Amino acid sequence: MLSEAVIKELEEIRQRYPNARAALLPAIYIAQREFGWLSPEAYEAVSDILGVPKTIARGVATFYAMYKHKPMGRNIVHLCTNVSCMILGAERLVDILKERYGLEPNSTTPDGRFSLVIMECIGACGTAPAMLVNTDFHDNLTQENIIQILESYK
Amino acid sequence: MITVNINGKEIKLEKPVTVLEAARSAGIKIPTLCYHEQLEKYGGCRLCLVEIEKIPRLQTACTLVVTDGMVIRTETEQVTNARRGVLEFLLINHPLDCPYCDKAGECELQDMVEKYGHTTGRFKENKRRIPENLEDPVIVRNMERCIMCTRCVRMCEGVQGASAIAVINRGGHSHIEPFSGGRYDCEYCGNCISVCPVGAIMSRMHRHSYRPWQLVSETETICPYCGVGCTLVVQVRDNVIKRVIPRLGKGVNSGLLCSRGRFGYEFVGSEERLTSPLIKKDGKLEQATWKEALDLVATRLGEIRKKYGSDSIAGIASPRCTNEDNYVFQRFMRGTIGTNNIDSTASLGYAGTLRFIENIFGGGVTANQISELSNSDLIFVAGGDPTTVNPVFGLKIRACSRNGGRLLTIGHSKGLRNFNPVELRPQLFTETVLLEGLVTALKDRKGLPGSNKKIETRIKDINISVDDVEKTSRVSGKDVEKFANLLSESVTPAIVIGRELMQSNGNSYKFLLLSAISYLINGKIYLLSERSNEQGVIDMGCAPDILPGYKSVSDSEFRKRYESVWKTAIPEKQGLSLSGMIISAKNGAIKAMYIMGENPVYNLPDSKEAEAALKNIGFLVVQDIFLSETGKIADVVLPALSWSEKEGTFTNMERRIQLLRKAVIREGKEDWRIISNISGNMGVKFNYSDAEDVFSEISSVSPLYKGLSYKEIEMGNSIYPYKGETLTGGEDIQIHKGKSITAVSRLYLRIERPLFHSGTLSRRAQALLKVYPEAVARISPLTAEAYSLKNGDKVKVSTKKGFLELPVAIDDGLENSVVALTNNFEGKGAFSLIEYTIDTVTNAPVIEGIEVSIEKGGG
Ligand code: SF4
Ligand code: SF4
Ligand code: SF4
Ligand code: FES
Ligand code: FES
Repeated sequence: MLSEAVIKELEEIRQRYPNARAALLPAIYIAQREFGWLSPEAYEAVSDILGVPKTIARGVATFYAMYKHKPMGRNIVHLCTNVSCMILGAERLVDILKERYGLEPNSTTPDGRFSLVIMECIGACGTAPAMLVNTDFHDNLTQENIIQILESYK
Repeated sequence: MITVNINGKEIKLEKPVTVLEAARSAGIKIPTLCYHEQLEKYGGCRLCLVEIEKIPRLQTACTLVVTDGMVIRTETEQVTNARRGVLEFLLINHPLDCPYCDKAGECELQDMVEKYGHTTGRFKENKRRIPENLEDPVIVRNMERCIMCTRCVRMCEGVQGASAIAVINRGGHSHIEPFSGGRYDCEYCGNCISVCPVGAIMSRMHRHSYRPWQLVSETETICPYCGVGCTLVVQVRDNVIKRVIPRLGKGVNSGLLCSRGRFGYEFVGSEERLTSPLIKKDGKLEQATWKEALDLVATRLGEIRKKYGSDSIAGIASPRCTNEDNYVFQRFMRGTIGTNNIDSTASLGYAGTLRFIENIFGGGVTANQISELSNSDLIFVAGGDPTTVNPVFGLKIRACSRNGGRLLTIGHSKGLRNFNPVELRPQLFTETVLLEGLVTALKDRKGLPGSNKKIETRIKDINISVDDVEKTSRVSGKDVEKFANLLSESVTPAIVIGRELMQSNGNSYKFLLLSAISYLINGKIYLLSERSNEQGVIDMGCAPDILPGYKSVSDSEFRKRYESVWKTAIPEKQGLSLSGMIISAKNGAIKAMYIMGENPVYNLPDSKEAEAALKNIGFLVVQDIFLSETGKIADVVLPALSWSEKEGTFTNMERRIQLLRKAVIREGKEDWRIISNISGNMGVKFNYSDAEDVFSEISSVSPLYKGLSYKEIEMGNSIYPYKGETLTGGEDIQIHKGKSITAVSRLYLRIERPLFHSGTLSRRAQALLKVYPEAVARISPLTAEAYSLKNGDKVKVSTKKGFLELPVAIDDGLENSVVALTNNFEGKGAFSLIEYTIDTVTNAPVIEGIEVSIEKGGG
């Protein structure tokens, strides 16, 4: 169940677009914020408020890799392993995350601290390897500084 | 006029169409996969690429609209290469498991590759793996085979209007899923299965049990379930129905079906079918030969008639039997037995509504074409959800909304909710006031047209202000005004009258008000019809007061027409109606009853009363395909052939007569033949050789069917008023306003009519049972909260008449004051909880205002 305030927020978003379907992406984002991930209930909430069938909402959301399609940890590491990053050692970084935190691609640490999502190019090829932690951007990663950076996320 | 040139051939076109349509009209083939004539254009598969002069790149023929002077080439080297490339790409992931796939033989991809593709593919990579999904009991998904044409999605969303499946994920990972990712939670129309070109979405019903080329026969016939009368193609192998499909361009449904029609056929081959006559001996039904049974029935009926008179015998006909069966049945009752005690369950609502409205406007006023619905600019639905009672009819209403028409509803119509209806939801038991308010408002806007004095005298004094409407019904005056404005501005309005209204308190008055609305805005009236031949059973005179063709039994000239053909006398006195028969059975006036294809112990309101009454009858004959609840208490049970095992005709809700054909061969007798045998044994010989023979008698005697024959019907010339004479309204309009009910109880009972069931037949269809396995009590989320109930909790639902113990299902489409129960499952029928009165005008039972209580726990 969404709070009155969130319902209002969603309704306002709806008003910004010519039709309800156009409002799906931001609305789904808010539902994700409220439910923690895109659970069936999250889609149902969006569907109820926008009047777009829930199956359609889910179809749209699954197109995008950056929504949380399953329950995730407190911090989400989006690590790029595309060409530039790969050449500059991103795959080694993946191993390090596994060694240090037991964190494997597409999974969450047992303590719920980190989830790892492997990304295709995030547009930082010039300063590769690069990652996003939640919404923070980090580049010029090395085997050492990646741990330092992640240690600041609890 | 547009002229285009395709492959050097000049083609003239009336209006701009797509290149594909232009080519097809000239007999030029262009291969396609994602294109489907029922669906919105998509242009996704690229198989239909063609070369167009002056356009540098190849274009998709299925989406590009021609312009004058366009020069098109469909078979150049560039085009064939492109096609081959498209198919090669599709086969990167498509598994090529044709030897194991049920679709092989009717797979469009297989055909295309065979015709236009490479012999070998050049891609060596692994194919994608998505395990076959068998979570759903009815629909199997094999997404490895999916070619992403989105035909299924466009069908589900754009035609069926269910939006139950969608493309999920992206790129090479995308495929089709229902919301849950596993089981479907949808209308199970199976129309997605019809349009999938490959074996990606298939029915589990016939999985791995035949190959399309092994089907021995295909028979076109009519659906046995509801009054829409969809055309079905029944496919049979080894005398077993393997599959039922629709056919594009055929019938009122053209290519569409609902769950009952598509998946409900299994009852035909059910092991529970009766195989031989049964005779009660020492309180137990025992097998007997046909001769024993038929002799016994004839002798006993003869004795009872002699001793107590003809009117001590009554007969119940069936809206599931053919016109021929019903015609012969009423001939038997009238001519051989000599009584007009004949009726059917059509009198539980449909018949009264029909005859009331015809009395105002004349015969055939409800015989409106279903196909015209989607072109109406407004549809007003009163009294229930058309999308569950008459599902394919419901699709036309949804289509109307999609085409820009307005939908107006009064009350509960969950299946139309996503189609932008203007809904008025009056307080319980206050629809009448609301309708009076609408009539008043429309009279103000339109004035009385003066063409039908009969109705005008009845409505001229109706005058109730929107404020008064608001006070009683709690529908705001503004909403009433808006509703009235929309109604009065409409040019081609249609009015749909549902089942709930047909059995409501004071229904005749409500019909008058709805007729008035229709009259004032010049609307077309449609009546929802639950049974496949509900219209036909009335047309055939299976009613206590009319002969086939709607003339009163007291009309001696009309009686003579039949008497001269039958060579027997027909009594002049009106007979007992269904409810009258039950009363007379109870008080002992009815000594014998003959029931054909009906199950009153279950299907009559207050079914326990009905059971007690029928048990009181000295000699009860039940003729059916299963041993029904009524059969169990009968003295003689006669097994009949069912739908798909016999020929005959059904008349649908638009009064179109349609042919049923035999698809399966079974030993046994048609209903009409059993009756004829008995009549012969009683000394009145019926000389019918087959169903067609019966029909020619009908059309030779009844002025309504004058000149109609199976041949004409086959050619499609069976739309009302055929070539016959229709009748115009005769009597004054009687109305009965009903008792006033004030809502005092917390909860009231509503009879739910589920999409997946009809009762006796659907109970024996495994697919439908898997989708909707058991009776439930539906309540709103608020009611659930108030009684702290969760989905699946057991509750005891009680009325004055008794109780049922049922699991709860929470339904957000319900009002808070309603407990909705079904009357479809054995031992759990809601009709056992119903106390009713009979409307004195329409003779329909009034099933409204039944107080009900629920209690957690139960058994
Ligand atoms: S069966 Fe009908 S409602 Fe269900 S997914 Fe297929 S098309 Fe949609
Ligand atoms: S499941 Fe069938 S109809 Fe649907 S997209 Fe795939 S191939 Fe096309
Ligand atoms: S709409 Fe009625 S006639 Fe058509 S398939 Fe469904 S049950 Fe049969
Ligand atoms: S490849 Fe990693 S940021 Fe572009
Ligand atoms: S048929 Fe034209 S693009 Fe698929």
